[in-house]
Amino acid sequence: MSQPQNHAQRSDLFLLDEERTTWHDETLWFVRQKRDRAVYATPEFQELRQLASDIKDHTLSRLAEYLEQFEDAALANGVRVHWAADAAEHNRIVLGIVRQAGASRVVKSKSMLTEECHLNPHLLAHGVEVIDSDLGERIIQLRDEAPSHVVLPAIHLKKEDVGETFWQHLGTEKGLTDPQQLTEAARQHLRAKFLAAEVAISGVNFAIAETGSVVVCTNEGNADLAIGLARVHIACMGMEKLLPRLSDLAVFTRLLTRSATGQPITTYTSHFTKPLPGRELHVVIVDNGRSQQLGRPDFRASLKCIRCGACMNTCPVYRRSGGHSYDFTIPGPIGAILSPNIDMRKHASLPFASTLCGSCTDVCPVKIDIHTQLYKWRQVLGAEGMLPASKKYSMKLLSRVLARPALFKAGGAAARLGLRFVPHALSHAPGYNPWAIARELPAPPKQSFRDWHAAQAATPAPTV
Amino acid sequence: MSTAREKMLAAVRASQPGALPLPTVPLFDGEASVEKFIALLESIGAQAIQLPHLSQLAATVARCYPNERRVASDLLPATVAVAATTPAATLATIDLAVLRGAFGVAENGSIWLPEAAMLHRALPTVAQHLAIVLDQHALVATMHQAYARLNGQPGGYGTFLAGPSKTADIEQSLVIGAHGARSLLVLLH
Repeated sequence: MSQPQNHAQRSDLFLLDEERTTWHDETLWFVRQKRDRAVYATPEFQELRQLASDIKDHTLSRLAEYLEQFEDAALANGVRVHWAADAAEHNRIVLGIVRQAGASRVVKSKSMLTEECHLNPHLLAHGVEVIDSDLGERIIQLRDEAPSHVVLPAIHLKKEDVGETFWQHLGTEKGLTDPQQLTEAARQHLRAKFLAAEVAISGVNFAIAETGSVVVCTNEGNADLAIGLARVHIACMGMEKLLPRLSDLAVFTRLLTRSATGQPITTYTSHFTKPLPGRELHVVIVDNGRSQQLGRPDFRASLKCIRCGACMNTCPVYRRSGGHSYDFTIPGPIGAILSPNIDMRKHASLPFASTLCGSCTDVCPVKIDIHTQLYKWRQVLGAEGMLPASKKYSMKLLSRVLARPALFKAGGAAARLGLRFVPHALSHAPGYNPWAIARELPAPPKQSFRDWHAAQAATPAPTV
Repeated sequence: MSTAREKMLAAVRASQPGALPLPTVPLFDGEASVEKFIALLESIGAQAIQLPHLSQLAATVARCYPNERRVASDLLPATVAVAATTPAATLATIDLAVLRGAFGVAENGSIWLPEAAMLHRALPTVAQHLAIVLDQHALVATMHQAYARLNGQPGGYGTFLAGPSKTADIEQSLVIGAHGARSLLVLLH
C-alpha cells in the first residue's frame, strides 16, 4: 500500500485491528463518562464554561496588550522572555539557552507546543540528550512515535506493547505487562535522568499577565521534580495561553481536569513566578501561525483551546480512527480546525473527519463552536478547490439534480425501480460506491414521499 | 528589543478584533467542612488523620512511617537537613518529607504549598513519601476562594498539591507513585 494521503486511508490502517479499535473506542468513552460525573457534580459548571469563554474572548481581543503586560511583569520577576515567530526560531532559541548553560542533558515535561515545533529532533541533532519525562511521552519517545492524544499520549498502545518497549530499552523482564510494575521501572529509569539534568523544559498551561507567572499542570509531578532540581528552566508557550488575572485560574483549574479526565484538579497545579538566585527561568513565547488564525474571524475561537482533550474522548470518529490518523500534532476535532490554518492542502481531509454531530462543541469547556468551524472549513476548502474529485463532482451532480424538481422526480423513480433489479454486488461495489463498504443501502420504498403525500391529500383526514 | 517581538506584536495587533469585555467572576462559595475535605482527599488517593493536638505530630509520624529513616522537616526532629542549596544527590536519599500546608480546598482536596514551606523546591516531589500538616480551620470551599486568599501574590513558586503523584498512561490503569511522592498523608489539627 502506498503512503496513505488522507484521514480515511490512515484510519483504515488503525481499523485493521478490530479488537484494539473496540478497546480504544470504549476506553475513551469511559473517560468521557468520568468527565460527565465530575461535571454534573459541579453546580456552576455551565456558568464556568461561559466565564471561561468570555475571559478567553476578551484576552484574545487585547492579546498584544496582555503579552506586553506579561513580559513587563516577568522581566521584573527576573525571568528572561524570548519571542519566536515560528517553530525554527523557537528551536534556535531553546538550543541557544541550553548551549549557554553549557548543558547536554535535558528533561522535558509534557508540551504540545514543542511537539508542534519538533524540538526534540532539533536538540538531538545538535548533540543534546532530551528525555521526555511524562510516562506516556517517554513510552512513545522510546518507540519513536508521535502522541496520539493531547492528554493520553500513549492511548493507542496496550500494556503488552509497553512491556515489549521497556524490555527492549529499559531491560525489564520480557513479557511484563503489569502497569504497576511497568510504571515502577519507568520511575527508576527516569529518577536518574531527573537527578542528572541540567536544564528542564516544560510547556505552559496558563500564563498570567498580571503577575508574569506561568502555570504548569501535571499528575505525575515530573515537571515540578525536573524544574526543582535543574539550574535552568525553559517554559515554552503558545501566545494564546495568557489569562489576565491570577484569580482567572480559579475558573480554568476547575474546568480543565474535570473536562479532561474527570478529576477535580490535577495533582500538581504549579505556579512558577520567580527563579531562585543563581538559577534561570526562561519563557519562550511562540506565534507559529497563531496570529494568522487570530485574523480569521470564523476560526479565531479555536485559539481559546486549553488542550483538555474532551472533544477527542467524545468524538465518534476520533475514538474509531485513532490519533495518528489525523497526522497533525493536535488530533481530533480541535486538531481538524487548527490544522488547515497551518497547511490547508496537507490537512484538507481533516474537516471531513466528522459527522458534524456537535458533541465536541457540547463538551468543550471554553465553548469553542468546533463543529460549526468544521463545517466552515469545508466551505473554505471547497472555494479553494481542495476537495477530492469524487466529492467535488458528486456534489456538483447532486446540486444540479436537487435544483430541478422534474429531474429529481425522474431520478427517484429510476432509482426505486433500478435498485430492485441491480445485483447487490454491483450496487454495493466498493469501486463505485465507497459509502457502502461498511453499510447496507436501505430497501427502496414502493412510492416516493411526493406520491404518498398526494395520496394522503386525496383521502379526507379521519376525525378524532 | 528583538525584531521577532516587534513582528509578533504587530501581527497580533493587525489580527485581534475590537476589545471585548472582561467578565467579573463571582466568588463562588460552597461547603468547606473538614468532612468534605477528607472525603475528597481519600477520593484522590491521599490519606488523612485528625490529630487531637499538634504536640502528637512527631509520635504520629513515627507510628505511620516505621521504616522511613531519612526524614526532612522543619516541624519535627529531622534526620536530613534540607535548605534551598541542598544538592540533588542528598535530596535523592530522602524517604519522607513532613511539611506545613498553607490552606486546603474542599472541592478538590488540594493544599496550597508555598515555596517557603518546601525547604527546597524539589523536596515535595523528590521525597519518596510526603506528609502535610494542615490547620483544619484553614479550609476554603472553592478555587475562587483559594485564589482570593492568595490575593494576587503567588510567591516565587507555589503549588496546589492534590494527592500523591499518579499516572494512568498505561491502558488507563491508575498507578499511584509516578515520579513524585508515592503517598500523601495529611495530618489535620
